[in-house]
Amino acid sequence: MTNNPNSDNGVNPDLLRAAIKFNAIALGCVSGLLAAAVIFIATHVSLAKWGVNSGQYLNLLGVFLPGYTASESGAWIGAFWAFTFAGLAGFLTYWSYGRLLGRRLSESVGVADETVDPVLKPAILRLFGVPLGLSIGSAVGGALCITTWWLVARGTAEQSNNAALLANYLPGYSPSVVGGVIGGIELLFMVFVSCQLLVAVYNKVVEIRHGKTV
Amino acid sequence: MAEPTKQDRALLAAIFSKMDTVAMSVAVGVVASLGLFIATAILLLQDVPTGFPIGAHLNLLQDYLPGYMVSWPGSLFGLFYGFLVGSVCGYLVALTWNFTHYLALGALLMKAAVMAD
Repeated sequence: MTNNPNSDNGVNPDLLRAAIKFNAIALGCVSGLLAAAVIFIATHVSLAKWGVNSGQYLNLLGVFLPGYTASESGAWIGAFWAFTFAGLAGFLTYWSYGRLLGRRLSESVGVADETVDPVLKPAILRLFGVPLGLSIGSAVGGALCITTWWLVARGTAEQSNNAALLANYLPGYSPSVVGGVIGGIELLFMVFVSCQLLVAVYNKVVEIRHGKTV
Repeated sequence: MAEPTKQDRALLAAIFSKMDTVAMSVAVGVVASLGLFIATAILLLQDVPTGFPIGAHLNLLQDYLPGYMVSWPGSLFGLFYGFLVGSVCGYLVALTWNFTHYLALGALLMKAAVMAD
């Protein structure tokens, strides 16, 4: 019996790549489904509340989700685009998270736990704050930058008063090429900090419920 | 044939590891709760002329979160609703993540069983 000669410090690089791809697809499906559900439900809540007068602000999403309107059929179109864009973002988020973690991905469950069985006794996932913050932050910051540039490309940036309101939270942001970059960087930082808190709370609750990773 | 290393087995365990639904629910709830509170507070702390509407757009959340408004008492509702909505979202994320993995694991086991025949 010999160890895999191609392994990187004990981890098979092909297995690592396959693992990252598998979980990236999983996160893409998760984020896509949830985003689609949010758009669908929010549209129907708006329709239920205001009927034909609904969508005063929701209709603005049609700028980014082609064909979307606050209507019965629009809800399905919006759900489709939300699934597509959020799914892609989720895929890229986990892909970058996995690449940043690398072989440390195996440390998220503890090598010493020999009783782990993926079917009968699956391990409990732990998270890593810095890679998670960087990957989600990049995805969200990048999304803000791209959507802002889209407004500029459409020629409607100067009329985008609602987008300009983001400057309340992102000083220096404006619906412009440079403003989009500034806002994207600031949002990356804000999301990074939020992820540190999220991971700290998640890992702490897991530690309380399941004990520390060896 | 190369024997899988301990790290390979750990990596496989990590791939199919469960996301703790309670932990994710609490974590996202805490972040969302603080996020909505801070977003409200930032608008309230801004210097605006008397009579000028504050947070006209954030106030639209009232339609989905009864009792919430861009005011200091309303921000407490924001803390509560932020935690409620965030924890539901966190729970759904963890549930969907685990379900997706169970489905994939089931498909892999079935494929392995068919190939073994």
